[in-house]
Amino acid sequence: MQIAISGGKGGTGKSTVAINVAVELAKKFRLVLADLDVEAPNDHLLLGVELQNEREVNQFMPKFDYSKCIKCRKCAEVCEEHAIITLKDGTPFLMPTLCSGCRACEIVCPVPGAIQEGSRLIGHTYVTPTPYNFILVTGKLREGEERSMPLVVAAKRRAKEIEKELLIVDTAAGTGNTVSKAIEGSQLLIAVTEPTPLGIHDTELILQLGKLMGIETWVVVNRADLGDVGEVRKRAEKYGARIIAEIPYSENIVKTYVSGRPIVTTDYPEAEIFRKIADEIYRFLRG
Amino acid sequence: MQIVIASGKGGVGKSSVTASLLYLLKDEYKLIAVDADAEAPNLGLLLGVTEWEEEREHIGAKIARINTETCIRCGICMQRCPYECIYIDDEGNYVVNELTCEGCNVCGLVCPVPGTITLEQVRSGVIRKATTKYGFPIISAQLDVGRPESGKLVTEEKEWAKQIMKELNLEHMIVDSAAGIGCQVIASVGGADVAILIAEPTPASLSDVQRVYKVVQHFHEPAYLIINKADINPGFTKLREWAESEGIPILGEIPYDSSIPKSMSMLKPFVEAFPESKASLAIREIAEKIKEEVIQ
Ligand code: SF4
Ligand code: SF4
Ligand code: SF4
Ligand code: SF4
Repeated sequence: MQIAISGGKGGTGKSTVAINVAVELAKKFRLVLADLDVEAPNDHLLLGVELQNEREVNQFMPKFDYSKCIKCRKCAEVCEEHAIITLKDGTPFLMPTLCSGCRACEIVCPVPGAIQEGSRLIGHTYVTPTPYNFILVTGKLREGEERSMPLVVAAKRRAKEIEKELLIVDTAAGTGNTVSKAIEGSQLLIAVTEPTPLGIHDTELILQLGKLMGIETWVVVNRADLGDVGEVRKRAEKYGARIIAEIPYSENIVKTYVSGRPIVTTDYPEAEIFRKIADEIYRFLRG
Repeated sequence: MQIVIASGKGGVGKSSVTASLLYLLKDEYKLIAVDADAEAPNLGLLLGVTEWEEEREHIGAKIARINTETCIRCGICMQRCPYECIYIDDEGNYVVNELTCEGCNVCGLVCPVPGTITLEQVRSGVIRKATTKYGFPIISAQLDVGRPESGKLVTEEKEWAKQIMKELNLEHMIVDSAAGIGCQVIASVGGADVAILIAEPTPASLSDVQRVYKVVQHFHEPAYLIINKADINPGFTKLREWAESEGIPILGEIPYDSSIPKSMSMLKPFVEAFPESKASLAIREIAEKIKEEVIQ
């Protein structure tokens, strides 16, 4: 089983919801939480753990053997990223940062061995045990790398290698194709939003994505007292989504967020809201 | 001059600070604003833009499509797709997931039946232009749901902005970058003259701003820091220590102020909506420093 927690825009409290729900659901399922916000992974900080079991993510990069290359330019023509430039006489050169590692150049090259296996480190994945009886998998893109897709794929793959009953996926902000890659395969999508005019605009987009993907979508309204929840409700209804919780702005949530301690492990009254969200998910999954 | 404002993490108040800075700098300088967060653009909203004067579709993304009539269901495309975007549907057809495809065309190259897989150009989003009620223009973009290439949208936005700068004889471009460190941010930071980083005193924000700073260093651009919500986490000194150890000048601190979320629902820069608030006083000082230290 897999569920995804996403939010349209950044800073809505998506990771706070993800870690708290994970702590609660870990009492009922063997679970893995995958932090697929590979450009800004923070779940480990909110859980107060240090990343462990680092594994490199390397990407294919063509390495030309100029003694074999016949300068036919086929590799450059096929590269959708325009990562290969050719000199006047057809000699190919790679601009490494543009290369996505797709291997299209290797596939079309007519001369065996003219393109050899090179590689580049583009990031890391981590598998970190937490004190809350679940495992955190994290993908982290290397600074200066442009493409988060390969890291999302690698981290998700690593999370799936671990034997578990439930995979919770915490996605990046936005609604581009790396977010859909993270969500893919989920039975349930939880959109964490804010009731501000800006939040509402982004909520609409994430609801659209959920609909296009054909995934049941729920909405959690964070900082619900800072705006008009009625507006969020209208959008949710339009896309057949349901608001399952409203979280008020709370100093206690900020305090626990900052201290690396999930709020569900405290006695603060707000903990109850997250427990209820976890309960709803549990009932949904047990169907 | 091109100034990029970045934070690494979303939600630290980057856009509301940017809107207020634009408001404070607009009388003295001839500006253009670029909202480079193509997946969740909101600077236009914060500056009260309700209608766009001009809109350009960006056709740039490519998506593979499989012709089920000619497909022999050999499965090679599915094995070779680097991003696992091909699946078998309920009827046993091989299908490309259009919401995750990166458009690399590897599937098309390995398919043994010529013409079965085609790479089609699709719309990746729109780029828009408006003149704000404050007089300066803004360029914004919106990536379509499930599309790749948000970085290319940002590059195109900046091109358009440069063109307008020439036409209108403008001096400065202020780019509000997206969250993260990926293609959109690289496209935002690349080509800028200076970066202003915004962070809040939390471990998560520190970690993210450190990452975006590495991207800035990569382009050899000078950087400055603004600490937002400076008082939400008393005792957390690591952000300041990090800036000092890296030699990043701190332009100022903005206290947490409930007038900021209020101004956001009013769709106004907070210095305009609540000019006497603590946050507004702080950002006025920061704007002065930017005039003296960054722009001069
Ligand atoms: S691997 Fe793909 S992106 Fe890289 S150079 Fe070859 S064709 Fe271009
Ligand atoms: S396709 Fe192969 S042989 Fe042709 S230019 Fe590229 S590397 Fe050389
Ligand atoms: S174009 Fe590339 S990413 Fe898209 S389905 Fe084909 S192989 Fe996969
Ligand atoms: S490689 Fe071509 S023929 Fe084979 S399953 Fe894919 S689309 Fe069909």
